[in-house]
Amino acid sequence: MPPRNHKNWLNAPHIEHISSECYNNHSIYEQEIEHIFAKVWVPMCHFSEMSNDGDFRSSQIAHQNVVAVNNKGAIKVFLCPSIDRPAGNGLDTVGLKELHSEVKHGGMVWTTLDPNPTQSVEEWTCGAFDCIAEAIDTEEMEIFHYHKAVIDTNYKLWHDTNSEFYHDFMHYFNRVSGFNDEYFARKNIPFDNGHVNVSSFTVNYEEYDGFEDRGELSFPNLPPNQWYMVDLFPGFNFNLRGSAYRSDTVTPLGPNKVLIEFRGYGLKKDTPQERQTRIKHHNSIWGPFGRNLHEDLIGVSGQGTTMREGTEARNILHGRHENSTIHDEVGMRHYYEAWGRFLGVSPGNPLGLTAEEVIAAE
Amino acid sequence: MTWTKVCDKSEIPEGSIKKVWARIGGGIPIAVAHHKKGFVAIPPVCPHLEEPLEESGLVMGCKLTCTKHLWSWDLETLELQDEAELPLKTYDVKVEGSNVMVYVTEQLEYNFDEDEDIDENTFFDDDDDDEW
Repeated sequence: MPPRNHKNWLNAPHIEHISSECYNNHSIYEQEIEHIFAKVWVPMCHFSEMSNDGDFRSSQIAHQNVVAVNNKGAIKVFLCPSIDRPAGNGLDTVGLKELHSEVKHGGMVWTTLDPNPTQSVEEWTCGAFDCIAEAIDTEEMEIFHYHKAVIDTNYKLWHDTNSEFYHDFMHYFNRVSGFNDEYFARKNIPFDNGHVNVSSFTVNYEEYDGFEDRGELSFPNLPPNQWYMVDLFPGFNFNLRGSAYRSDTVTPLGPNKVLIEFRGYGLKKDTPQERQTRIKHHNSIWGPFGRNLHEDLIGVSGQGTTMREGTEARNILHGRHENSTIHDEVGMRHYYEAWGRFLGVSPGNPLGLTAEEVIAAE
Repeated sequence: MTWTKVCDKSEIPEGSIKKVWARIGGGIPIAVAHHKKGFVAIPPVCPHLEEPLEESGLVMGCKLTCTKHLWSWDLETLELQDEAELPLKTYDVKVEGSNVMVYVTEQLEYNFDEDEDIDENTFFDDDDDDEW
């Protein structure tokens, strides 16, 4: 098969595809803020970040400042236009408008700007967390790592990276030591509302240079060295690698800019030695000098550069069908089906151009 | 043949690349890149897969990168960088006052294979998987 040249790429493919305009058009971005981020449940932080009475943690959802407050052990979330700091204790919430909120799925604090949500968090997530529920809900979790990154890319490219796994070929170490038959046999499992999870396999950490087996510190009810991922629409990722748990939360800042918050978790009951080992396990993969995270960020930054605002629209193929195994793009197709439904547009032609306009644009 | 003005230098800020036309015959398309050390005039497509460099080219410092497959060149030395496997062809270029001038004797082009139709039905077959 010859590589596609420029002319080939401009032809309409006969397989599933979306337009790169989904990633770089400012009007599409504004519609996403209004019709997606202002409507869905957002996992804004973790209970353990605000475990004392009066603690608060702030964030921004769909251009609105929000703050979660620990009110004698119960979490409440408010719109808080004036807040200008991420965390603290003793915020006066008198007069603030309260939002719907829940603490769910391993102690995450969820909120929505929707004043009348039609679904609870449980209903919204539609079973996507079932595969890790016994691991993250049996023991209380505690955050041990937080960092954030502002990346010049579209938020969906980060979610795509967490949803398609042929990008793993980009990771040098994975390529040389991480793949086995089980890796390729993993399944992408779609859930309603655009969520997907990735079934587990046994990771051979001992084959990683400088790594060790993680079985001894596995999360509760999790077989040794398993790896599960939950990709939650529209851009939240939960990643359990045996002994360490990670969550990613995106806040879109523009069509080609996103704030990503990364959190790492252990169990509250950890001994100091266990915690230190979990932190090492977390950071060796996902820390700033770990195996994977920086390569993923460089990857999506490159994609953002390639598809930056104003560049020629291209077709992005989602046509791999491989019995839902790991390189099947069923997860991508499932996500963009939900995305198109929320916006009322076709991801293949999100601006609704006529055939004549498409030709003219080309 | 002679030097011909292709644009005003203000049209191509440093760190950018623009497609212009030399008014010769029916017109000759040229891409002019403004890098850290000056200007370079080249055919307007990447020698790899005909990507239009005005769209896909990124000029940073003295480096031009076609962002589609990361073919890159040092525009000062014209050395191949990163994934590039073929050299750029270049026109002589100079700046006179505010004018960018290019010396064109003939249109420079790369040799590309004839277009082959892409068979979508077999595009994702596993034949190439073992290349990894």
